[in-house]
Parts: sequence; C-alpha cells; structure tokens
Amino acid sequence: MECQVALTGKGYVLVAADTVAARSIVKMKHDEDKIKVLGSHLLMSYSGEPGDTVQFAEYIERNLRLHQIRYLQPLRPSPAAAWIRRQLADSLRSRSPYSVNLLVGGYDIATSEPHLYWVDYLGTLAHVPYAAQGYGSYFVLSLLDRYHNPEATLEEGIETLKRCIAEMEKRLIVGLGKFKVKIVDKDGAREIEL
Amino acid sequence: MQINGGSVIAMVGKNCVAIASDLRLGNQALTVATNFEKVFPVTDRIYLGMAGLATDVLTLRERFRFRVNMYTIKEEREIEPETFAHLVSSTLYERRFGPYFIEPIIAGITSPAKGSKPFIAGADLIGCLNFAKDFVVVGTASDELFGIAEGLWEPDLEPEDLFETISQTFLNAVDRDAFSGWGAIVHIITPEKVITRKLQARMD
Amino acid sequence: MSRSYDRALTVFSPDGHLFQVEYAWEAVRKGTCAVGVRGKDVVVLGVEKKSVLQLQDPRTVRKVVMLDDHICLAFAGLSADGRVLIDKARIECQSHRLTVEDPVSVEYITRHIAGIQQRYTQSGGVRPFGISTLIIGFDPQDTRPRLYQTEPSGIYSAWKANAIGRSSKTVREFLEKNHKDDMSRDETIKLTIKSLLEVVQTGAKNIEISVMESFGKVTTLDLSQIEATVQEIEREKEQEAERKRSRLAATAAGQAAMMASSTPSTGGASEAAPGSGSGVQ
Repeated sequence: MECQVALTGKGYVLVAADTVAARSIVKMKHDEDKIKVLGSHLLMSYSGEPGDTVQFAEYIERNLRLHQIRYLQPLRPSPAAAWIRRQLADSLRSRSPYSVNLLVGGYDIATSEPHLYWVDYLGTLAHVPYAAQGYGSYFVLSLLDRYHNPEATLEEGIETLKRCIAEMEKRLIVGLGKFKVKIVDKDGAREIEL
Repeated sequence: MQINGGSVIAMVGKNCVAIASDLRLGNQALTVATNFEKVFPVTDRIYLGMAGLATDVLTLRERFRFRVNMYTIKEEREIEPETFAHLVSSTLYERRFGPYFIEPIIAGITSPAKGSKPFIAGADLIGCLNFAKDFVVVGTASDELFGIAEGLWEPDLEPEDLFETISQTFLNAVDRDAFSGWGAIVHIITPEKVITRKLQARMD
Repeated sequence: MSRSYDRALTVFSPDGHLFQVEYAWEAVRKGTCAVGVRGKDVVVLGVEKKSVLQLQDPRTVRKVVMLDDHICLAFAGLSADGRVLIDKARIECQSHRLTVEDPVSVEYITRHIAGIQQRYTQSGGVRPFGISTLIIGFDPQDTRPRLYQTEPSGIYSAWKANAIGRSSKTVREFLEKNHKDDMSRDETIKLTIKSLLEVVQTGAKNIEISVMESFGKVTTLDLSQIEATVQEIEREKEQEAERKRSRLAATAAGQAAMMASSTPSTGGASEAAPGSGSGVQ
C-alpha cells in the first residue's frame, strides 16, 4: 500500500512519500522517512520489500558519498540515476535480488535543470516529468496528466501535489496518514511542510 | 515480454532502410512514460532496435555500445551491419539458459567498400538471426505489424515513400495493441544521411 | 644468494631486520615534510608543498586529503602508494557507516590503515607502502582533537605534535621544545607554520595548512592567511634577535668596562665580537 509521488516544476522537483511502516495488516510506525537525501542536490524515495529498501538505499547513499569524497564533486542526477539503475539491474540477475522501487529527483546545478527518474526493481529507468510508485499511481498519474505543468511555480506545484495526495486519501482503500515531502532546487535538497 | 510493452519494425527500401519504434514504457497496463525510445544508433549507418523487457533494453544498449567501441578501437574501422548482427547474436546466445528478455532488430547500410547496400536483420531472445529481404518486426504488436507490413510493403521504395509505408504500417499496428503506441519515432537511413522524425499517434 | 635477505620481503635478515621495510622508510624520509599539532580544541595539519612546475595545475597535486567528513590525512613518501592507501581508507569509512551507522573514530581508521600497511610487510608478492601518514580528526560525540601517525611497518601511535618526511627530526625536536598543552587555535596554527619554516626555506607559498576545529569542521587556510602568520613569525624573530643583539652588546660593553677598569690586557674584548655576530643569525 506504499505510495510515492514526484513531480517537476520550474527549477525544482517535489518528492512525496507516505510515512507508514507496515507488517502484513498492522501499521507499525507512522513517521517513517522513505526519502533519502543522497547529496546536496539529489533525493531518492524508495518502496518495496521491507528490509531490502533501507538496505539498498543506505548502500546507494554510502557509495555516492564515497564518490564525492574520491572525486571532490557529487554525481549529477543523470549519471547518478544511471548508476543506481545499474545496481538494480545487476541485482535482478543475482542470487538475491533487491526488490526496491525508486523515484530519483535531482537538480543539475551545471545546467540548472530539475530531473526526475522513475526506477523499478527490474532496473527499468525512465526520465519523466512526473511519476508515482505503488497503488497510488493508478489514481495520481491520470491526475498529473491533467494538471502537471513543467513551468509551474513552487506554489502551483505544491497545489498539484496536494491534489494528488487528497485523491489517494479519498480513493485508496487504506488511509496512508501523513505524507513526507522533500524538495530539491538550486538551493539544495530539504524537507518542506505542505 | 508484456511487462513493459513496445514494438519495433524495420523495412528495406531502394538503397535505404527504415527503423521505427513506439515511445511507450508501461508497467503492466499502466503507462509510466511516453518518451521511451527503443531504437539506438550504433554507428552513423547502423541502428539497433530492441523490444521486450525495458531493463534489458537499457542494459543491452550499454553493453552493445561497449562492445562496438572496443571493436572500433581494436579493428580501427567501423563495424559492418552484418558483423554487428552476429555480435548481437553471440551476445544474446551467451545467456542461452538465462536470457535477456528482448528481441533485437538491426537496420543499416553497408560501408561504401561493400557497396552501400541496405541491410536488416532480426533475432529472437537467444540470438537466432533472421536476415530478411523485406521487413522484420518484434514486440507486443508484432502480429499486427506482420499483417499490415505484408499488405503495404513493396520492393524498391525511395526514402520518402519508405517513410510513408513504415509510418502507416507502424501506427496502424500499434493502434490495435494496448501495450504499444503513445507516439513513434522513425529513422530513415540512406548512404548519405539519417532522417529522424517523431510521429504523432493516438494517446490511448 | 645467502646474502639476499632483501629479495623476498617476508624473510628476516639474521639480525632481525626486514630490509624492504627499512627501504620503505627511506622513501618516507625523501618525502616532503608534514606536521600535525594538537591544540586545546583544535588540531592542525601542515605540509610542505613541492613547488609545482610552471605548466602544472597545482590543484591536482594533493598531500592533505579528507577520508570522511571528520577525518583528514596527510602523508609523506610515495604519492602513488598514498593514493591507493587513501582510497582503501575512504572505502572503510563509508563501509563502517553503512554497517554500524556510525562514523569511524580516528583511532579506528588509523588502526585500519596501519593494519593494511602491516599486511603488506608480511605477505608474499607485495612490497610495503612507502609512506608514513599523519591522521587528524575528532571522534563522533567528542570534543577532543586527535592526532595519530602510521608508519610503513604498520606501527601506529598517538601524538600531541609530530612531523614526518624530510627533516622530520629537526621539526620534531623543534616541536618538543615549543609545544605547550592547551594551545588556542591561533597558537596552534602559528606553531605548525613555525615548525614547518624550520625546513621550508621558500616560505608561505610552499606551505599548506588544514585546520580542524570540531567534528566535520575543516578549513584550509588561503595563502594570504599563511603569509600573514609567516610575517608575524618573522617579525617576532627579528625582535628576538634585536633583543639578543642589544643584550649581547650590553654584556660586551659591561665586560669591556670591567676589562678596562682592571688591567687593560690584549684581545679580550675583540674576541667577544665574532661570538655575538653568530648569535644574531
């Protein structure tokens, strides 16, 4: 029942993820952070098999950090997404594949462009203007088809995101509680309150 | 093969070839992206299209780029379309008992030294090559593509006529397939140049 | 053949030496000098930079590197060996964070580096790392500055202040004379520069200073800041010399007066002059 939504606007990417950690039918936690800040201008939300998700996200986090220490600069969003994809693609054909789905959002400070990538556990990578993972995607994507505007200001983007979250609250059989929202723009990645 | 959907076709014309793919990337019935190209340039005169599991499309694009670059450096010449077809075949057959879930199509023009002849080939997921003289099709709309191409294709089409034929064939085929469509991209390869055009299609 | 104890690394010479390790020491002694000094709540690394060639990009020549947010390393010896060792250490830093969610302590990463260096003195087909390192940093949730040293043999040790590389003995002796506990930030930086000036003739432009003030807070001083400190040191030295000179002159004058009052014998006063001259230098 995990749900994640992300969208790009003029100079920013918004990433929202639910905060529920559930075991079978029981909600164990209501404040789980499922969006990792992978660098000054990179965000990654993750969902999937519990255990795999955090393990994989931390592995990615540490390796991107290692890259930054080694080469004195962080990977830009597109190579970072390509590398993350490759990790999942290699994992898919290994003895114990990770089953993790991701949304990778970043702001490329070299070209001043926001980037959003949809990545699934198979290692499929798509460069998209807006994306969603989980059951919520069945409602949210059609909503975004209608309301998304790549030139939208932050206020407008947040408005669209609120619409998406409201739709999930309304139509999804299980309430997902509060959503955590993070943004990445020219000033870097940070959490915001809706 | 039906997880992500997608179709590719290639056709032979008079001293030219054409290759086209749709732009849909799906997750089962849900469309995730409508900008997912499945045809990639290998050299200036060779294009490779792949339909099937999208993760393997991306992985193999990377692997083929690597292997073609190594070939070019070691041999100090550009790879021939036919050689590349065999490279594709052997790369796929390496995974005979745990294959990449894609079917490739190769379209290209041989080097001037070999007469600048049009060349197309297809293969199955373990690399069994099919050198066709007219057209090759793969993907979720392959049945539809076969039928329409059989009716529309004729020998010795000029580049612009070939473009019209492949476009009509492709659009009408993917319109009957739920897993393909959402726009298409066509490359016409002639000995002098490559013309690339995006096609408007039904977005449903 | 019987004398080639330095052919295979893992073989002792009859008097208990590992020659290859000692040769590695030679490489360290040839390397440019690096100094580490611990203050009250600051720790400073200073290195002698080799002057880069005219067409070389100085940013690509590094002797002080970050291992993690809170750990800094300088080395003396073969740069190529240093690079490899540093990379291993950086991987360990991230790997440690990944497995236990905590940053490494300075002692931990020092022990890890020394462990690698030791391994390369005891296994076949390899040669030791021709470098010594100085590692500075702060432990997580701790305010005490740390300074460690590692050697090609795999020995590691903690220090208040230390130097490695070319003329390190001179610098260490200088530090032994001048180091005080609980130095402030400025005092620590000054002592670091002062000790480096003992062996760096070319002054500020060949000195690089990194200051760590607390967990993850590292600054590299710019040339102007170093130059200012160097000038300050030179001024002080001059004043000191001036004082000495006047004091010597006073003594000499006093002596002369005493000589004059007693029997005015030959040479006594004039012989004092060369002595005072050498004191001025």
